[in-house]
Amino acid sequence: MAGLKEILYYMFHPNQLRSIVQWKVWHEPVHTRDPSKEAPTLQSCFHFLNLTSRSFAAVIQELNHEMLVPIALFYLVLRGLDTIEDDMTISADKKEPLLRDFYKYMQIDGWTFTESGPNEKDRELLIHFDDVIVELKKLKKNYFDIIEDITIKMGNGMADYALNAEFQEGVLTVPQYEEYCHYVAGLVGEGLTRLFVEGEYANPALLDRMELTESMGQFLQKVNIVRDVHEDFLDKRRFWPKEIWSKYVDRWEDMFDPKYRTQAVHCSSEMILNALKHADQCLFYMAGIKEQSVFNFVAIPQTMAIATLDLVFQNPKIFYSHIKITKGDACHLMMQSTQNLAVVCDVFRRYARRIAKKNDPRDPHFLEISAACGKVRFWKLVVTTLSRIIMLTTLDVQIEQFIETLFPTQDVKKIKAVEAAQKSSENDRNDYFEAIMLIFAVVFVLLIVSGLMIGAAWFMGARFDAAFDKNVASSLKDAAKATITSIDHEEL
Amino acid sequence: MTATTATTKVPVEQAQLGRVLVIGGCGFLGHHVVNLLLRDWKCDAISVVDIRCQRNRRPASDGVEYVEADITDSEGLVKVFESLRPDVVIHTASPVAQGGGATNELFRKVNIEGTRTVIDVCRRTTVKALVYTSSASVMSDNRSDLINANEDYPVIRGKQQSEYYSETKAHAEQLVLEANRAEPLPDSPSTGLFLTTAIRPSGIFGEGDVQLVKHAIMAYREGKDKVQVGTNENLFDFTYVENVAHAHLLAARALLVTHAAGVTPLDYERVDGEAFIVTNGSPIYFWDMMRGIWHAAGSERGTDHVWLLSRDLGIFLGFLSEVAFSILRKEPTFNRQRIVYSTMTRYYDISKARRRLGYEPLVSLSDGVKKTVEWTLAQEKQAAKS
Repeated sequence: MAGLKEILYYMFHPNQLRSIVQWKVWHEPVHTRDPSKEAPTLQSCFHFLNLTSRSFAAVIQELNHEMLVPIALFYLVLRGLDTIEDDMTISADKKEPLLRDFYKYMQIDGWTFTESGPNEKDRELLIHFDDVIVELKKLKKNYFDIIEDITIKMGNGMADYALNAEFQEGVLTVPQYEEYCHYVAGLVGEGLTRLFVEGEYANPALLDRMELTESMGQFLQKVNIVRDVHEDFLDKRRFWPKEIWSKYVDRWEDMFDPKYRTQAVHCSSEMILNALKHADQCLFYMAGIKEQSVFNFVAIPQTMAIATLDLVFQNPKIFYSHIKITKGDACHLMMQSTQNLAVVCDVFRRYARRIAKKNDPRDPHFLEISAACGKVRFWKLVVTTLSRIIMLTTLDVQIEQFIETLFPTQDVKKIKAVEAAQKSSENDRNDYFEAIMLIFAVVFVLLIVSGLMIGAAWFMGARFDAAFDKNVASSLKDAAKATITSIDHEEL
Repeated sequence: MTATTATTKVPVEQAQLGRVLVIGGCGFLGHHVVNLLLRDWKCDAISVVDIRCQRNRRPASDGVEYVEADITDSEGLVKVFESLRPDVVIHTASPVAQGGGATNELFRKVNIEGTRTVIDVCRRTTVKALVYTSSASVMSDNRSDLINANEDYPVIRGKQQSEYYSETKAHAEQLVLEANRAEPLPDSPSTGLFLTTAIRPSGIFGEGDVQLVKHAIMAYREGKDKVQVGTNENLFDFTYVENVAHAHLLAARALLVTHAAGVTPLDYERVDGEAFIVTNGSPIYFWDMMRGIWHAAGSERGTDHVWLLSRDLGIFLGFLSEVAFSILRKEPTFNRQRIVYSTMTRYYDISKARRRLGYEPLVSLSDGVKKTVEWTLAQEKQAAKS
């Protein structure tokens, strides 16, 4: 039945099907895993990776060989932490030390955790966590240290939230909201950036501009929080800060009441505006990535996020259902996210325009949203801001070249074009004179050539006078007839 | 990136500006400069020179000295300067660019000759710094798009410049910048440096504005909000007037600092002899700005009713209107240039002002629109009462 539904859907949406087919047929991973050369424990790790996350697993496994294992393990460790944090069957006083000391457990050979609630979908991972630990120990020390550091920070952050009764009721202020996003996403970004820089796949300048990394995480997390508002509501969780929603409704439940739909949509606009402000920094961040597989890894979630933002904007459906971008769109986005920054910038610009098109003047944040969309606009900004980073920090030349190749300095051309136009008034006269000279030269050459040809023909005996004088012409014809008949006679 | 949407007042440290004279201080921009001087800055004296000083006057308790004078009258102006003894001159006087009924002759007289006189008088007296209000339109030929243009873009002059107003502003700006670090004139009592700079704002609007917002509200009342020309993918820079005034005063302070230091600053931090583009730093889709204004003025409409007119058809209609009005021998209210303005991309990069002046907009675009529309509606009510 579902199959039939899908066939019907794709019959009416051939573009979607085309994108899926294109992705399946043409996408060639930059790198592929080679399971035959992997230890059984590592294979088991990838098995859990595939179980825990469908979307992330694929991109992780296309990473280059140096980054592949550290990032896969980093992801599994965080997943483990997250599973414990989410688990409502574990009491708070048991949870807290588990979270805070998780970095210690992940260094104990054979450590496993079997007390997860039966509904935790990733409980299997914790039951076989010893495999992850074996592989963690094989990591290069510099990579391991980064993973450990982030695990400590995140474990503590989660423990603080688990204890914080106030937070259990939901986020209150915007800074609290951003702090929450920092713990669940910003820290992951920090770890990833440090791993990339350690492996020399990203520009070290990114470490001096950690706000760029932070924006990457905040953007993804905020988009998810907006999209999943209904799902979280059903799970009795709330991440939208009260500071924002209380401007539109009195009680959180009212957001989901059809009576207050307009207010709820306006509220979602403010949340989307809050997310959108990170978009341009995400583009700057991506300009700092030096290797294709890492670029794909960071770019895919970002383009998905901006597309999701377009999907949820001015969309009341988020308050009564769970919406997602279609598979076809996702494939199309993945195609475009696995090329280069220029293409990704185009994707951002395209979706920013779509958001701007849907923007409604009655929305209280109409002008801010329009301006925010306008900001996600152009390469020039990316370049100027990056060149500023370059000025402030001592960098290798590579990033500058990298930008130069990506963005052949558009503005200079433009300036030159404008200046040329300015000067054209003087040049116009020159051009005119040149054109006249050229025509004279051509006519002159033509005259000489034709004169030579006519002269030569005349020397050979051509009778030009025949063309003008009828008498001469007829006499010539007669002469021709005479010769022809004479020949006839001879033949007879 | 800093959030320019924040409406919090940036605490401007109460810097010393000495004796400040605002030329055109009863005008649209000028009176905002005066307001800001009183609110955010420490001055020894604030004075205003304007052709007429009745409107936009501060109450006497604020201690602003108002002097009526014609800036094209050199001898008269010298006397005024000698009695006011300004350290800093902020020159904002200019006829309204569009719809003010100003003739080309008036533009030339006030913008070029007036500015020439002001420079001359500054150099004959003890003025240390001159800040001139130019216009971002000097970089536009009113046809081609300007995409994130910065100060490196050429100034469009002569035949290429289709707006005579912009031509006169560009000419005056050139005079001002060329006078930077000029020697004092022989009979001048001044012994120090004379420093100049120019501010190029784009699309100013705000309280006191009789152009952008007023026209937009009129268009809405006449039901013209139904039509949108072009695809609305063109970004445009509009600037709230207080932000422009703020940039002028930051520039004035920078000139005074340079003046006091005595040494020539490095090229990348120099303010004197330079022009600065100033905007709200948030380019916006042209028709979105209009809709923002209409909404603030009471429109409850979304965008469903909007009738999309292609740019080419718009230009054709504009041409017809121009022909019709020329038969009637009247100034057309609707013409091709308006269509071009509403469909062209024209936004600027203000990083030079950010870097060298420390400029950040004080008021967000959205707050600016709210304030301006409120003011405009209140004005109308008052006019209706009287």
